[in-house]
Amino acid sequence: MTHFERPDTVGLVMQRLAENAKDVDALFVLAAIQAREGRVSEGLTVLDHVLRLDPTYPGAWMFKAVLHRMNGENDAERSAREKAEDAER
Amino acid sequence: MSAPASVVRMKICMAGEASVGKTSLIRRCVLDEFDDRYIATLGTKITKKTLTVPDPKGKGPVPVSVILWDIMGTPTLRDLLKEAYYHGAEGIFAVADQTREHTMAVLDTWSRSIRSVAGDIPTFGLVNKRDLSADPKLAAGEVETFFEKRAWPWSYTSAKTGEGVEQSFQRLVERILKNRP
Repeated sequence: MTHFERPDTVGLVMQRLAENAKDVDALFVLAAIQAREGRVSEGLTVLDHVLRLDPTYPGAWMFKAVLHRMNGENDAERSAREKAEDAER
Repeated sequence: MSAPASVVRMKICMAGEASVGKTSLIRRCVLDEFDDRYIATLGTKITKKTLTVPDPKGKGPVPVSVILWDIMGTPTLRDLLKEAYYHGAEGIFAVADQTREHTMAVLDTWSRSIRSVAGDIPTFGLVNKRDLSADPKLAAGEVETFFEKRAWPWSYTSAKTGEGVEQSFQRLVERILKNRP
C-alpha cells in the first residue's frame, strides 16, 4: 500500500479477494494499484489473469494497452488496443 | 412502408466522487429500483438501456441503445484508468451529492480527465440525493451558477424516489444525438 492510496480501496480489494480469489473487479483494481505503485509488470500479470477469467471485462484491454505503453512495449500495446476496439464494437 | 430506423449505440460514463449515487442512479434508470445499502463500486460495471427518443434532425423517433459505464469514484486511480474508462464515450453524467459540498467542485477535475480522452463531449450535471433536502449543503443559487458557468444542463435527482432521473437520461441522449455529425 502506498501512502497516498485510500486505505478503504486497498482494504476492499483485499477483502473481496479473500472471499473470492477470482473476483475480476477486485483483480482489475489490484492491477491498477500495482501499476500506480510503479510495479507495471506485476500489474500486467494480474490484468492478464483478469482477461483469462473474463475476456470481455470492460476497459481491461485498453488498460492493458496503457500498461504496455508504460513498459515501452509498442507491439503489445498496439495489439491490446486493437482488441479493445474490437471488444467495444 | 419505410424501413425501421436502425438502433443507435452510444457510450455514456458516470463521473463523480465515491458514494454520490452513480450506481443507484443507474439502478433507478434501468431497473426502476433503489437499495438503501451502500456497496462501493470496484472496477467497472456496464449496463445497457434501450429507449426511443425524438430524432433531433426531425425524422421521427430513434431507437437508442445506451451502454452506461459505472466506474469507481476513487480519485487516486482516475488518471491511470482514464483511457480504459472513457475511450469512445459520447456523454458524461457528472454527479454531485447535494449533502456534500465538495462533490460539486471536483466535477471539473472529473470532466477534464474525461475530456482529455473523449474530447469535448456533452456533459449533464446531476445533483443527487434530492430526497435528503432537509439539510442541503449546496445552495440552489450556487448550484445554478456552477452549471451555467460551464454551460452544462443539469437537474436535481433522487435515485431513491426517481425524481429527475429518467428525464435527465433522455435529455443527455438527445443532446448526444444532436451533437453527432
